[in-house]
Amino acid sequence: MPAPCSLLSTRRAALAAMVALATAVPLAAPVELVDRLTFAAIYGVAGLGVGLLLGQCGILNLAQAVFYGIGAYASAYGCVELGWPPVAGILAGMAVSGALAGLIGWPTLRLNGYFLALATLALCIAGGELFFEWDWLTGGSYGIGGIPALDFAIVRFDKPEKFYYLAWGVLALALVLARNLIASRDGLAAQAMRDAPDAAAVLSIDMHALKVKMFVLSAMLGALAGSLFAHYVSFVSVQSFGVERSILFLLVPVLGGARALSGIIIGALFVALVPEVLSAFGEIHHVLFGLALVAVVILCPEGLAGLWTRLRGARRPARRPAPVTTAKEVEHVA
Amino acid sequence: MTAALFVQALFAGLTNGFVYALVGLGIAVIFKGSRTVNVVQGEFVVIGALVVVGLLDAAGLPYPVAALAGIVGGLLLGSFTEVAFIRPLIRRRAGEDALLLVSIGLAVAMSAAVLYVAGRGSYLLPAVGGNAVVNLAGATVRVHALFLIASGAALVLGLAWFFRHTMLGLSMMAAAMEPDGATVTGIDTERMRTLTFALGGALGAAAGILVAPLTEVNYQMGLALTLKGFAAAVLGGLANPLGAVAGGILIAMVEAFGIVFIASGYKNVFAMSVLILVMVLLPNGLLGRRARAGG
Repeated sequence: MPAPCSLLSTRRAALAAMVALATAVPLAAPVELVDRLTFAAIYGVAGLGVGLLLGQCGILNLAQAVFYGIGAYASAYGCVELGWPPVAGILAGMAVSGALAGLIGWPTLRLNGYFLALATLALCIAGGELFFEWDWLTGGSYGIGGIPALDFAIVRFDKPEKFYYLAWGVLALALVLARNLIASRDGLAAQAMRDAPDAAAVLSIDMHALKVKMFVLSAMLGALAGSLFAHYVSFVSVQSFGVERSILFLLVPVLGGARALSGIIIGALFVALVPEVLSAFGEIHHVLFGLALVAVVILCPEGLAGLWTRLRGARRPARRPAPVTTAKEVEHVA
Repeated sequence: MTAALFVQALFAGLTNGFVYALVGLGIAVIFKGSRTVNVVQGEFVVIGALVVVGLLDAAGLPYPVAALAGIVGGLLLGSFTEVAFIRPLIRRRAGEDALLLVSIGLAVAMSAAVLYVAGRGSYLLPAVGGNAVVNLAGATVRVHALFLIASGAALVLGLAWFFRHTMLGLSMMAAAMEPDGATVTGIDTERMRTLTFALGGALGAAAGILVAPLTEVNYQMGLALTLKGFAAAVLGGLANPLGAVAGGILIAMVEAFGIVFIASGYKNVFAMSVLILVMVLLPNGLLGRRARAGG
């Protein structure tokens, strides 16, 4: 059939062009832009975690800054105080975050909607305070400095442009894994649970276990992003892990479009670049950023990725598939 | 544990509890009326207080007139928020997450606007009774704290009466609970929603005016107040405004006793742990009966 083939090739060509452009950026762009784009990739990894939960399970995770902080402190404390190799710090951060998410998710993921959002928000507030109080571990407001560059024996990521490739490479890998997860049995079950919880329950999907699993995965992505952040800026302190940071991570999937993974890249670029562009307007730029966010939510209900699809005139899939179809899909996989 | 210390913590908890309760009350009223979790509520508190500060300092108005103007300011800000930002989304039948996000964006913008206009400074309002204190069972309590508790209680009771016994209050509840049915009986549901936001804005401003003599108000505190208010409202059962009072007092008591008898640095850890525990153990809130709305 010609239509799908041409669509596929257009998509591939667009993807190839994007990869080529992204590869060329550090060669031609000013260092400030490379720096912001590296942050975009780091925010993208953390935002992907939030987006997977929100887009696939309909769960609002406002605690991502805590997991991001655990990842950053595990890397900082491990490398600086304990002399660990960087990889050990990254893995430790992911393990601790995953375990904590499981421990806290088990009771709280029985809650629904706003209440779950509040539980994660409560976790974020309490976590921020603990980071501050446990200064023997985190350095409190003085933080931990002198975090070494990431070193994988063969290659050392000690220059901004090298780190740029690493951060975008990690984001690309995470996106591919997320894509496979969504297509997997667990992913389909999660979507069924989101769209038709009653039907999913009838089909004996263990919704609670699935939510906990997704929450653990989301937290581990947050920790991975935090580790990247720590090794990139070589200094961490409590200021980077507050509620505002959780909101920033939430904005990544929401602005880009929570249901499309390409939206994660668009959302990450938005939150990393737009405040920087608006800062040219001086003190008022935070007001403009808030209003830009409001405008995106009101004018583009499916995020910026949805707007792009609409501009191309393509037919968008229905916002929520009919429950019957979803139930059949689940029956198929269950 | 001395008796005086105990009473001191009790009054500190009660004072903060009513502040959280008033913020939570605004959040619950708006949630009841529009299914929106209004993250802007804390900004209503800050802006309400700062309007009064401005009117007292710049215009030299007498205190009661300035306070009234502050409440009217909150009322207008609340109505504007609904008409300009929430109404287009609800007309389009947008999801709850979209409403929450618009509200987050507005909170960011408003807090930044306050920073732009009022700067980084902190502001106090004159207290009822000045700096006078009362000695109660060995504890010193400021007269204004007692005034705040009494005004908070009066506002809560007044609101309960308004929702149960006035035509307007009943219409607002009907419009929120059963919009289609309410429209059939001739209630203008959109207007009722705007009024809900107006009421929320006025309540927020009143909370700000009451608390600003005890705690300095600055551009940063809006989100923190919203979170405590939200916690209070959820603890009490989000759709039950009176529950917000019970929730607010519980959170503030845990904070106050935690600070006095355990360690001052873990104030939020105590409050938030209690919140998570109560949510898991009592999923309908402290005063909830049926399944939670919004969940």
